Amino acid sequence: MNDAAILSVAGLRAKVADEDLHILKGVDLVIRPGEVHAIMGPNGSGKSTLAKVVAGHPAYEATGGSVTFRGEDLLDMEPDERSQAGVFMAFQYPVEIPGVSIANFLRTSLQARLEDDEELDLFDFQELLMERMELLDTDPSFAQRPVNDGFSGGEKKRNEILQMAVLKPSLALMDETDSGLDIDALKIVAQGVNTLRQENPDMSVLLITHYQRILNYIIPDMVHVMFKGRIVESGGPEVAMELEARGYEEYRKAHVA
Amino acid sequence: MSRVVTEPEKPRAAFVTGAVPKAGAVDPDWLRGRRAKAWDIYLDTPLPSTRSEEWRYTDLSRMLPLDALVPADVSLAVPAAANGDGTVPEPVRRAMAQDRHSAGRIVDVDGAIVAVELDESLTRQGVVLKSLRQAARDGDPVVESLLATRAVPASEGKFPALNAALWTDGVFLRVPANVHLDGPIRLSRWVSHSGSATFTRILIVAENHSQVSFVDECLSPDFESPTLVNTAVELFSRAGAQIQYVSLQRMGKGGFYLANQRTLAERDSTLDTLNVALGGSVGRVDLNARLLGPGANSDMLGLYFGDHDQHFDFNTSQDHVAPHAHSDLLYKGALDDSARGVFRGIIRVHEGAQGTDAYQTNRNLILSDRAVATSLPNLEIGADDVRCSHGATVGQLDAESLFYLMSRGLNREQAERLVVLGFLGEVLSRLPLGGVTEKVTRAIEAKLGNVR
Repeated sequence: MNDAAILSVAGLRAKVADEDLHILKGVDLVIRPGEVHAIMGPNGSGKSTLAKVVAGHPAYEATGGSVTFRGEDLLDMEPDERSQAGVFMAFQYPVEIPGVSIANFLRTSLQARLEDDEELDLFDFQELLMERMELLDTDPSFAQRPVNDGFSGGEKKRNEILQMAVLKPSLALMDETDSGLDIDALKIVAQGVNTLRQENPDMSVLLITHYQRILNYIIPDMVHVMFKGRIVESGGPEVAMELEARGYEEYRKAHVA
Repeated sequence: MSRVVTEPEKPRAAFVTGAVPKAGAVDPDWLRGRRAKAWDIYLDTPLPSTRSEEWRYTDLSRMLPLDALVPADVSLAVPAAANGDGTVPEPVRRAMAQDRHSAGRIVDVDGAIVAVELDESLTRQGVVLKSLRQAARDGDPVVESLLATRAVPASEGKFPALNAALWTDGVFLRVPANVHLDGPIRLSRWVSHSGSATFTRILIVAENHSQVSFVDECLSPDFESPTLVNTAVELFSRAGAQIQYVSLQRMGKGGFYLANQRTLAERDSTLDTLNVALGGSVGRVDLNARLLGPGANSDMLGLYFGDHDQHFDFNTSQDHVAPHAHSDLLYKGALDDSARGVFRGIIRVHEGAQGTDAYQTNRNLILSDRAVATSLPNLEIGADDVRCSHGATVGQLDAESLFYLMSRGLNREQAERLVVLGFLGEVLSRLPLGGVTEKVTRAIEAKLGNVR
């Protein structure tokens, strides 16, 4: 195993930008290249906030600790800089952008990665897009549809995976990507992630989820339980199984005690 | 304590009564008479005030120093007969070079027509494209019967009256029955004098089952003082004919663009309009679409993108006079900085206009805390068997959308640009006309600062 961490979170404290209340109260997490980490926890535990703070969501403010991505201070970077550095977040609620096709959106995203005087070759882009869509078994006409506009829940998630496939991140943050998906859509998403991991074994995944079931399809190396803004337990996939059986009750008791 | 203030009499170079005979010096009697009558109406009509519903958000008395404006003097311009390319200003030439194929071209500089070109095959088929003033002088009976009578007469209001009295020139286009044009006719307009007032008219008649598209582009430099361009647009589509009229308002700062447009669509004809407002300081378009015959159809499209302190105001009406006609309006605007957008639209279904199909949608995208959009859709229905709907939205480029785009690697400007182009692009895709989409897209991109 490669020892150099790709993501290293240490003592991270974060709050909602306009409020005093802290949601993350000292989170420590180390992810190495190629690892899949799952973070589970009840509603309001801060698991989604962790993903958003790592991606740079403006609604949250880090007030202490550090987030280091490949040795660079991520908290110091704008969301677009984080993306260009190799961080990708699959949204829980992908945003609709009427009038902008997926192809146009992705072309602009790739163009943004080039120097000012460089122009993305349109043929190369078309080829890449077609190849990526084939890889994910997606109909070519999909790329001509306006981004998420009128999409079903499953189509939105599929679009997130396609974007991930085109942008080829080294760290994928999956923010409750599985919520609201039926089992077929869930399988498609999981298959997409696994395909991309096969292609690039160094790609790391941080999977934020409420349910154990997605972990049947994307097998995690580590499972963390988050409770009230802290990681309270870490272990192998068995942690998820136990959690499924026991629920969060013992953490609640422990917290009170 | 009261005091008597005596202000020195300001020189009123503007709209003195003498301007009318001067403007009409070479006109036939009927036109001189029409000008004189229009002038009287102008004098009797107060300036539109914000107390009136239709002008509530555009305070011309504060914005436009009407009396300080100097009417364009066409006698200074080169007459059409003596034109060469030398009379076409460079910025106009550049804009013209962006156009694709045209069936004809006409150039208006400071209210005078300086160049006219029409495909020879069209001339042979009887298509008339010429200076409106010349057409009136030539005794064209269509001009005499339709100019400022049924479409935009002086009685319509202060500015239609002023225009009918003082118009210097404009375009007359008549397409004979069954003639179809394979490309648009393009009018390129240029206004050069700061503080001037230009009054022009456009009269288009498409006879039975003919087809024509017309692009009216207005350009100017930036002005130091308010500069008025006032246009009356009169469009007649006869039975089964098709007209597409596009207005591209791309004036410089200080430009005031006031347009009165009226479309009269007869039985089974199609009369579509697209109003694009990108330039100038203040733009006001009064568009009245009249559906006069069964089967008539009007698509009414509008696109505006304001920044700095630009002010755009659209006042539209869809008059369903005849039964079984169809009209569909879509106006979309993006507003940045402290720009202001006003849309006021009404669908009027007249008594007996059964089977009317009329729709009206206005959508606004707000890009800054200081930008304001006002949307006032309205319905007035005098028949019972109709399908009508209207809707308005004012939305923001919210933080979540911006974050979504930035999380894919776009910086803030690139993200904003993509959203605006996508939002406004819907309008352009509804009226694909040679080169218009590309030209408008480029102009929007230029306004967005050309970030990639």
